[in-house]
Amino acid sequence: MSVTPFLFDARKVRLHRARAAKGFADAAFLHARAAEDCADRLEEINRPFPRALAYGGGPALLGALTRRALRDKLGVVLVADSCAALAPGPASLVFEQEAAPLAAGSCNLVVSCLALHWANDLPGALVQSRLALAIEGLFLGVVFGAATLLELREALLAAEAEMGVGASLRIAPFADCQDMAGLLQRAGFAQPVADSHILTVRYAQPLALLRDLQTMGESAAFTQNPRPLTRKVLARALQIYTERFSDHDGRVRASFELITATGWAL
Amino acid sequence: MSATVTPAPELDPRLLEVLVCPASRGPLRYDRQRQELVSDAAGLAYPIREGVPILLIAEARELQGAP
Repeated sequence: MSVTPFLFDARKVRLHRARAAKGFADAAFLHARAAEDCADRLEEINRPFPRALAYGGGPALLGALTRRALRDKLGVVLVADSCAALAPGPASLVFEQEAAPLAAGSCNLVVSCLALHWANDLPGALVQSRLALAIEGLFLGVVFGAATLLELREALLAAEAEMGVGASLRIAPFADCQDMAGLLQRAGFAQPVADSHILTVRYAQPLALLRDLQTMGESAAFTQNPRPLTRKVLARALQIYTERFSDHDGRVRASFELITATGWAL
Repeated sequence: MSATVTPAPELDPRLLEVLVCPASRGPLRYDRQRQELVSDAAGLAYPIREGVPILLIAEARELQGAP
């Protein structure tokens, strides 16, 4: 078997985000939620951040960080994404977090909103953020945690096992909350803290979840495509999903674990 | 081709202050004419589209005669 150097295909991620950009504001309710949470936390921190970099949250993150209560705390807010259409101006740029084009010590705050799960090199991306931060700069990142989409993962695995087709990696592995604090420490951050909460979203049917993932640009973006999911296996997976994860009213649950990690550059 | 030429939006000066080349981490030179950010160290020119610098190595133009 050949060695796969990268799990994720950055080009595919950019493509999916570009396709999703138009409807992102409506579809990306998780990003909006994470963005508001970031802004709430920043309100609690009593210090100014003259130059902030906001990555990955689209218009929702820019909106949250420029809310009235943060106006005196945050100076310039640079908005970045791997996809230009999701980096609203006035001062926006496009880059990958693993190759950040930011001068050392140039920012006082880096906010990364639900974008690090596509990084092939998460520790490297965190190191890049730390390098970009000035002394006493803050990194505030929201990443998907391991409990994210556990229902869908289980349903797909069960369907594949049942039909004897062998399991495929169809959903990206997500970060572990405790690992995040460790990774921040390894990246050189002081006072690393990670906490997580699980958001349960209820859908009329599991197919609506799949559609939602697509419209927020979160289709799978692996370097090596998994074995194609046949119509039969998919149908069985959706059936299993409904059997195992329905509420009394017939709606199905989908978990999203949002880990919020913070660390200071010293 | 239309005869009216709309000038490309200028690169926000607040961006220029903080940007370095993602490949070499060296300085970037702003080529206003071509709307590019040029990294002489890496031999790459990054496009600026509608005022937004695209600092992706995959999208950069390789400079002729670059090292």
